[in-house]
Amino acid sequence: MSADIVATLTPGFAQFLVAIGLLVVGSSVLTVAASFGGGVLARRARMINRYVLLVVLAGIVLFPIYITVVNSFLSPDRIAARPPTLVPPSLDFGVYGKAWNQGHISSYLFNSFVVTFIIVAGQLLTSICAGYAFAYLAFPLKRTIFVVFLATMMVPFEVVFFTNLQTVVSLGKLPAVGQFVGLDTYGALAIPFLAAGFGAFLVRQAFLSLPRDLKDAAELDGYGHWRFMWRVAVPLARPTVAALALFSFFGAWNQYLWPLVASDHYRTVQVGLRQLSRGSLDEINVTFAGTVLAALPLVVLLLVFQKQLVRGLTAGAVKG
Amino acid sequence: MGVMRRSIIVSALLALVVAACGGGSSDKSQPADGGSNSELPTCPLDALATAAKPVQITYWHAMTRVNEEQLKKLTDKFNASQSDVHVTISGVPSYTDNLTRFRAGLGTGNLPDLMQSEETSLQTMLDSRAILPAQSCLTADHATTDDFVKRIAAYYTVKGALWAMPFNDSNPILYYDKALFQRAGLDPDKPPATLDEVKAAAQQIVQKRIADSGIALKTDTVAFEHWLAKSGHTIVDNDNGRTARATKVTFDDATGEQLFAWIKDMTTSKLALSTAAGGVDHFLAVANGRAAMTIDSSAALGTIDSVLGSGQFKAVKLGVGPMPGPDSPDGGVLVGGAANFIVNKSSPAEQAAAYEFAKYLAEPQVQADWAAATGYVPVRRSSTKLAPLTTVWAQKPGYKVAYDQLLEGPENPATAGPVIGPYGAKGQGVRGAIVDALTRMLTENLAPADAIKDAATKANAAIADYNSRVG
Repeated sequence: MSADIVATLTPGFAQFLVAIGLLVVGSSVLTVAASFGGGVLARRARMINRYVLLVVLAGIVLFPIYITVVNSFLSPDRIAARPPTLVPPSLDFGVYGKAWNQGHISSYLFNSFVVTFIIVAGQLLTSICAGYAFAYLAFPLKRTIFVVFLATMMVPFEVVFFTNLQTVVSLGKLPAVGQFVGLDTYGALAIPFLAAGFGAFLVRQAFLSLPRDLKDAAELDGYGHWRFMWRVAVPLARPTVAALALFSFFGAWNQYLWPLVASDHYRTVQVGLRQLSRGSLDEINVTFAGTVLAALPLVVLLLVFQKQLVRGLTAGAVKG
Repeated sequence: MGVMRRSIIVSALLALVVAACGGGSSDKSQPADGGSNSELPTCPLDALATAAKPVQITYWHAMTRVNEEQLKKLTDKFNASQSDVHVTISGVPSYTDNLTRFRAGLGTGNLPDLMQSEETSLQTMLDSRAILPAQSCLTADHATTDDFVKRIAAYYTVKGALWAMPFNDSNPILYYDKALFQRAGLDPDKPPATLDEVKAAAQQIVQKRIADSGIALKTDTVAFEHWLAKSGHTIVDNDNGRTARATKVTFDDATGEQLFAWIKDMTTSKLALSTAAGGVDHFLAVANGRAAMTIDSSAALGTIDSVLGSGQFKAVKLGVGPMPGPDSPDGGVLVGGAANFIVNKSSPAEQAAAYEFAKYLAEPQVQADWAAATGYVPVRRSSTKLAPLTTVWAQKPGYKVAYDQLLEGPENPATAGPVIGPYGAKGQGVRGAIVDALTRMLTENLAPADAIKDAATKANAAIADYNSRVG
């Protein structure tokens, strides 16, 4: 943050900090006072104290999102003015229409959805199959191959970036399928991400935590591997699968460098957003509106699948 | 773990790959450092006549918004005007992104036929060995650069050969608020021209409490580079890298130290407000009346005009003046912006077609249209006598400032500008070294002499490293 912004924010920011400080100190005093009273009162005071802290923390985390939404409704000079405007005087959604149409956010979003859908579907399929193999099948060099899978998690994408690019270019030269997977296609945008070591690991851990007896019972009922996997194992590991879907969704949605280089016809929303923000001092509110639109799918997903995400984070941590 | 860092890492990796490919190639027909005029490759202009028409070519650019729309219009016009060549344009959000995909393409073969790249990438583009010098085609076409603005042609000339067709040009100018000048008792129509005058004006503004600071200065290197040029001082050796590959920087002397000292003096005495390198904080400081002046590219003028024209920041009365700085008789401002490089990996007919399009984009009338619509400086001198540029300049004299200052001063290695492999941005290369040193000087209270030494040491290391890989 530059000196300029710090300086202009300081008066309002100081008040903000003082208010937070008073709130925290106040509730602490309350707790201490109540603890002398003992019993129910003390417990309730501790509870209030905890909530105050959570509200403050939530406020800090949510503020950037809030101010982005507010700024999208302000004219550029109001955005630049100090002290900042915290409540928009009116809700003019025209700016969203502008970002949607003139800013081409609609087509960027569409491209991002297509690519993300392919990547999520691909990752789920490959991760479930690989995870199942590692959990239930016996084959030579199983441990070694699993370690190799894990090792791919340690290789940063930058290292394989160039190789991936050459792969995609070569794929494009294949007869028949080349036109779907070569450079500048949806395929090119998705192919390097269709399989992930992380996904296989996550699903394997989930499958290992299922009771072994289920497999035996299913076998008695005449279920083969394929049917057991889809009818029993996957439904039971649903929280993990959902978490994996979310992770791969976020990863695919937020990509920048790969879509930039691998395609220019199918521009994804992150690349498009940068295009929108370039030199747009005069329409900076449109950029804010575009940012909100680009983030919206992620926010909605987070709100809906919050439980799965949290559960997914701890999945495999304890073998149950 | 931002997008920025990732793309830097990838750029660095790609640079390595490019360097490795370059080093391994035994293609001696085109020396990496340019070669002299007689050794230039030939331009296959005749190939266009015998090729199946229309020849399809791709142009990679980094224009956005108004500029992109204008470029589309010009391209459509070109495509409609003849049936030999059909151009498809493909844009990315920034020059850095454009160079990133170009470097990636050197390995995969996915390259454009014509490539827009910014001025600082000149040496990198030469070192890619993927460029057909524009000079070759001009010679084959019996054309000259006589009508081009001399300094713009000089910028893209290395060892006597023009390497890229100039296209969009800009340079830094002074933006100031006439209303604040008036209230401070300064002549609103006479902006400061030298660094001493900037300081005097800033003192008057601050003393009379008209604004917190006199001038908002970005913590980047562009102003420093132009001040060196305006002092008639080179930035790197070997005549700014134009007679041979640059081996070290030349600014670690009294001139560089004075400039650093001026920046430090202005900042510590609160006459100047130091703002972030990448953002628009310096403009906002002027817009909000916190500073009365700032320096930035003339390319921003159109946007600023439209912001003010929309009725925002009503208190501001925009004034535009030449870039203030040392006024040595041996100096002048540098060329900024970008030029079009013909890619030699394409087929002969495509190379010839790429030249045709690059030539078209630099035609006087096209440049007059382009400059009038975007605020860029026309690269042709005869464009200045053509409508609609004449009309725009008559209505808004501020748009002419950047062009006029390009004509001032002599043509010499200092004003031609530096050709540096690791020119750098975002904390890398020579520019990264200077910004680091500037920041340390301002935040860690380093003495200007030590800061200059620090900048030179790191910059020389970057140049040595680059040369060891490529040279």
